[in-house]
Amino acid sequence: MTMISKLKSMAVKSPWIYRINAGSCNGCDVEMATTALIPRYDVERLGCQYCGSPRHADIVLISGPLTRGVVDAALKVFAEIPDPKVTVAVGVCPISGGIFRESYAILAPIDQYFPVDVNVPGCPPRPQAIIEGIAQAVAIWRDRL
Amino acid sequence: MSMQLGILIAVFLFPGGLFALALGLILKGLDRRVAARLQGRIGPPLRQPFYDLIKLAFKRTMVPTFANQPVFLGAPLVGVVSMLLAVALVPLSGVYDPNPILGNLIVLLYILMIPAVVLMIAGSSSASPYGAIGFSREMTLMLAYEAPIVLVVLAVAMRVGMAQGEVMTFSLTEIIAYQRANGIFLLDPVMWPALAAFALFFPANLGIIPFDIPEAETEVLEGPLLEYTGPALGLFKVMSALKAVVVLSLGIALFAPLNLGGVWGFLGWLLELTLLMEFGVTAVRLSMGRMRIDQAFAFFLKWPLLLATASVVTVALAT
Repeated sequence: MTMISKLKSMAVKSPWIYRINAGSCNGCDVEMATTALIPRYDVERLGCQYCGSPRHADIVLISGPLTRGVVDAALKVFAEIPDPKVTVAVGVCPISGGIFRESYAILAPIDQYFPVDVNVPGCPPRPQAIIEGIAQAVAIWRDRL
Repeated sequence: MSMQLGILIAVFLFPGGLFALALGLILKGLDRRVAARLQGRIGPPLRQPFYDLIKLAFKRTMVPTFANQPVFLGAPLVGVVSMLLAVALVPLSGVYDPNPILGNLIVLLYILMIPAVVLMIAGSSSASPYGAIGFSREMTLMLAYEAPIVLVVLAVAMRVGMAQGEVMTFSLTEIIAYQRANGIFLLDPVMWPALAAFALFFPANLGIIPFDIPEAETEVLEGPLLEYTGPALGLFKVMSALKAVVVLSLGIALFAPLNLGGVWGFLGWLLELTLLMEFGVTAVRLSMGRMRIDQAFAFFLKWPLLLATASVVTVALAT
């Protein structure tokens, strides 16, 4: 293994997470906060850390069906995140719109707007599923570094 | 020639530079690990801050369109260089004595102010409203804690200086020599007000939880650091790791230098540093909530200032 790939395999042990709420009902956001913050599903042991600023993030978790009101702001924030980044769509809403499906106010599926790498379906998804989604995102991130 | 070489080694290898950086990062990792264990979590590995730094080195640096680019990218460099110098200024009892040509306690006080100034410059040059809020909070906090720390240092300098027949001495080496001969200030009741004021000062200087108001990530999204990415953000992490070592070892030099030498002196210093980190930083930040900036300002102008003034008076009366 060369020096660079050794360093890269150390670098992937520090995925910093940023959440974008694209019009979510807050159910998935509660699950995401739960995943990291309560003792039972501690993701800090994987080196994860929620960061306040999109500029510091490596992995983006997007929840919600992308309402018309939020699309510009969400795209703007997404552009602020430096490359290499990985996008995880959390919940069923980003895939199909979930219970808001066929509403005039939403733009789901969101992969028309964001390059989604991992989908974590569920309404809301279990914390274990979100952790697995983050783990898959880390594997994708390794190749992009 | 050997003097220059000695100074270079002190700044870049031991006790400054690489050694202090590694120590600061391990202390930070320990802090996160112990915090997780106290909350019933498993927590990240001790090496986590190293992984974070390597990761940041791989990321892209972005400069906001309206930011002042030279100032924006220069600020973290100034911070790191100032802290490299500061580590070389603090003596380790019985292990390392800084060359007097580097400066004394007054120089150290000035250099200790630089990271806060750097954060202010970073916040204001980033053209972000959150950075501007962080700038104003950082400045308010600095104005509040600067007076008590100057008075604390004055009290220690008077205590040692008057015992030697002068008014005060600002040489940390002499302060340590006095404590090695006459007992540490930690056990000297005359110095307890100064010790208490210092204990209140250093969480504010390190920016940990009751006083992490400028960087509050839930309110102002990390304030001055908001716009920094990749290597530039990494430099700020390096700066704060070095600063933790400087402030903690300054506390040890002022109040509790060990009367040991050589390897035992070094190991004892490491133990003191770790204990101070765990009880002074980890325990404090886990057991408190964040103050508002006006509360912190009023707090610092009340208790630490009162204690520090009292310490100067008691020292003047006691000797």
